[in-house]
Amino acid sequence: MTMRRRDFLTTAAAGAATVPMWTGRARAQAKAVRIGYSLSATGPYAVGAGITQAPNYALWQEQVNAKGGLTIKGESAKRPVEFLAIDDRSEIETAVRFYEKLAADDKVDLMLPPWGSAMNFAIAPVASKHGYPLIGPTAISAKFKELAIPYFYTLLVQPEPQMKAFGAYLKDLKAQGKAGKVAVAYVNDLFGIELNAATGPALKEAGLEVVDTKSYPLGVKDLSPILKGFKAAGADTFIGLTYPPDNILVTTQAKEVDWNPPVFITAVGTAFPFYRDRFKGAEGVTGIAGWNPKVKHPGAREYYDAHVKKHQKEPDRWASAFAYASLQILERCVADVGLDRPKIKATLDATEFQTVAGPIKFVKGENVATPGMVGQWQKGEFELVWPRSAATGSPVVPKPAWA
Amino acid sequence: MAGRLARRAGLAALAAALLLAPVLGLSSYHRALALAILADVTLAVGWAMFSGPSRYLSLATGAFFGLGAYASALTIARAAWPLPVLAGAAMAAGLALVVGLLALRLRGPYFAVFTFGLAELVKHALIWYETSVTGTVGRLILAPPGPVALYYTVLGVAGAAVGTAAALRRSRWGLALIGIGADEERAETLGIDTVRIKIGVFALSAAFLGAVGAAMAPRWTYLDPQVLSPVVSFQTVIMALVGGAATLWGPVLGAVFLGLAGEILLVKFRYLYLVGLGLSLMVVVLLLPNGLAGLARRRG
Amino acid sequence: MTGTLLADIVIGGLTTGGVYALVALGLNLQYGLMRVLNVAHGEFLMLGAYGTFTLHTAWGMPPLLTLLITTPAAFAAGVALHRLLYAPVLASGEAGGLEARSLLLSFGLLFVLQNGALLLWSADLRGYSYLATPVRLFGTVFPANRMVAAAVALVLSVAFYVYLRRSLAGKAVRALMQEPDGARLIGIDVPRLHARCFGAGVAMSAATGSLVSMLFELTPFMGLPYTVTALVVVILGGLGNVLGSLVGALLLGLVETAAVYVAASDIRVIASYAVLSLILILRPAGLFGR
Repeated sequence: MTMRRRDFLTTAAAGAATVPMWTGRARAQAKAVRIGYSLSATGPYAVGAGITQAPNYALWQEQVNAKGGLTIKGESAKRPVEFLAIDDRSEIETAVRFYEKLAADDKVDLMLPPWGSAMNFAIAPVASKHGYPLIGPTAISAKFKELAIPYFYTLLVQPEPQMKAFGAYLKDLKAQGKAGKVAVAYVNDLFGIELNAATGPALKEAGLEVVDTKSYPLGVKDLSPILKGFKAAGADTFIGLTYPPDNILVTTQAKEVDWNPPVFITAVGTAFPFYRDRFKGAEGVTGIAGWNPKVKHPGAREYYDAHVKKHQKEPDRWASAFAYASLQILERCVADVGLDRPKIKATLDATEFQTVAGPIKFVKGENVATPGMVGQWQKGEFELVWPRSAATGSPVVPKPAWA
Repeated sequence: MAGRLARRAGLAALAAALLLAPVLGLSSYHRALALAILADVTLAVGWAMFSGPSRYLSLATGAFFGLGAYASALTIARAAWPLPVLAGAAMAAGLALVVGLLALRLRGPYFAVFTFGLAELVKHALIWYETSVTGTVGRLILAPPGPVALYYTVLGVAGAAVGTAAALRRSRWGLALIGIGADEERAETLGIDTVRIKIGVFALSAAFLGAVGAAMAPRWTYLDPQVLSPVVSFQTVIMALVGGAATLWGPVLGAVFLGLAGEILLVKFRYLYLVGLGLSLMVVVLLLPNGLAGLARRRG
Repeated sequence: MTGTLLADIVIGGLTTGGVYALVALGLNLQYGLMRVLNVAHGEFLMLGAYGTFTLHTAWGMPPLLTLLITTPAAFAAGVALHRLLYAPVLASGEAGGLEARSLLLSFGLLFVLQNGALLLWSADLRGYSYLATPVRLFGTVFPANRMVAAAVALVLSVAFYVYLRRSLAGKAVRALMQEPDGARLIGIDVPRLHARCFGAGVAMSAATGSLVSMLFELTPFMGLPYTVTALVVVILGGLGNVLGSLVGALLLGLVETAAVYVAASDIRVIASYAVLSLILILRPAGLFGR
């Protein structure tokens, strides 16, 4: 019995050791363009990754390969896109190691970023060290500027400009007599804290009174104490610097404590279709916005339709389109200058790109072409209600009663 | 006699390979993998140093590891490397002394549960302090040491952990600890200062767990209190128990085996990896009561 | 302290504590009896929640009614799991290694259940609204669903407690908890009782999950915080002591709610740990422990 078990273990070990050899064998036909990344399929980051990045990466690959592959400057034939990807299990160390493997071992042609600021903090230096440009659609933090990583680019509007946009939006409402006393609840992790730090000055500049500010921890199970306090303080505007699942909890509990302020803002997760469906339309709820299928950017509607067709689910109304845009940008760079990565970086620094999410222009690694936007669910669509120049609808204030 | 010589030679060869690995032209990925496995070894050996002989099942590893990592991020801008590693060790040991005074009065499951919540407690306390006092949360490491320096740091910590564990096993404290694990009341009646020994070794073990956390922190660039996680506690216990917590080399075996197998399977079986791990754990428990070390011993 | 604040804290605390009581009771049964540190306890809660979610959203079954399906199914699964996994470990091995091995086994179970759920339902957040309406009491407002969930949980917990005290089977369980060897001597079929108690523990966890699904979003990773709370309550009340778990759960709920109202949400975990530490300093075997 012991002998057999030992043989089994030895054979298994030997077999396992040869696995890397099988996967390394290249395909005989047109040599694929190998793009590496890790996304969280398990663990706390899996929710966001599965909504915002994973579907877009898959959609783009399918579309490119259906056309015959990527057009590469200096090469006559198109080459198909092959992904080298793992589930990083929301573990930073796993992701860091995998990106080192992609760069040093697999020597992939290009890389895509993982989900979330924490992951991007960790792998951006690794990718940059090896000279791989990364365009991050889910990296938001003032600290990226501090890090100043040469090959890393953020797409989304960062905390300060985003909260300034909310400030301007509320200032406009205040002028119409529809808002004035704000209560803020924020999650006490980096994202919530940075947004809150930007909210204070933005509201002050807009001339709004903050009647109360409360923080809460990740994984909170009861926000009704906070909401009851806000209601008692007479706030007419609620700003929840939250993300799923707390944005869902706070929305449910606002109804449960019988509080329906004229302006109800939950920052992140509001732009997701499942939020709308969860709250029977979520009529009048406001949040951070970036996109909807009605915007006039080239290919926006087609992108929406393709996403729904392939995944049987809608893209979210914020970062999804930017994730797709990041791939469009990469595709454009490769078509313009080929797979030479320093040249791609030079192109990223110098070009204004036209994407489904609008114009994108990077200055010192930050996208400055996209304004901070505010969206509101109206009749099943997340209308862009601020700034007026980018709006697809007008704000509905006061918010209708909870469904 | 020949067996002991062969074992010593084998150990020397292994040590040489580990020391020379970065120089031998190993790719940066393989070096990173080796570093990660060395870190796992430190965790498993550090944990088993106390929990193995004493039978006090500590689930506080995540708290010590995370605190060490956070301490590293706090001090790295002001202190030359590898001083942050010492800071991590010191902070973790400090926490262990404080917690140990209360926790080590508890027996068996009470101790395990109390330590289980420690990672969450320290995390929330840290967040509360940071948001109230410093107004921010998390720390950026702007100028981390190079990968080779990190590799040798972790190698050093791992070597120190194994060496300390070996020395402890043969020392009076180590033997006393085994006695405590076997029958604590009897040990007391025999005149052993059980409180001092338990807390002392608990803090020693925590120092290594904190040190390795501090050493790994620069790899992640941004350190958030979320780095204090009970998952690390689980993973460490699993590595040590799979390898066999009662021996010196059991935890090493467990860490290496699970680390390598995990890395190979991660690329191959994206979604089934964790289910596979879970099933293997159950199989191991049912078929190998003394872990991998027990299997090795039975053969030899 | 105003009247409404007191009402908020007391009713809120009892509501929270009621749910804690049921999940803790299940764990206490397993640990108290078999020294099985089942870290996968919360995963059965998660499965119960998904079960109710599926039955409610796909077939429109009222969540409370789904308890009639999820609870017996969980009981049967628990009995089977015990026979398959824990009984062999309990039978072999020395007492010292038992805790470690059952811990490893539970970890394995945790990975399998969590990731099985992930494969089945994906990581997408799922949830539904049920009875999310305000109820006015004592000058303040409470959500109907939380009160219903807590009420059902408390009823089940108290019913089980009464069953333990009054019924013959209950007496056998208590005998087993207090004096394992003596119980064997007087002819109690220990392995069978172990299996059924384990099953009952799993059933209680799943029932809590069914109730909790009315209140929170579901993810495959929702179980662990409940495991932690259950462990804290069990230790707080005293291992193996059912009344201790009931009292401990309500106490913990009250303390946490008070802390959140009086201070800040951030210190909920700190407050519960402070209570645990305080009790353990004064009584190292828990409130009612021996």
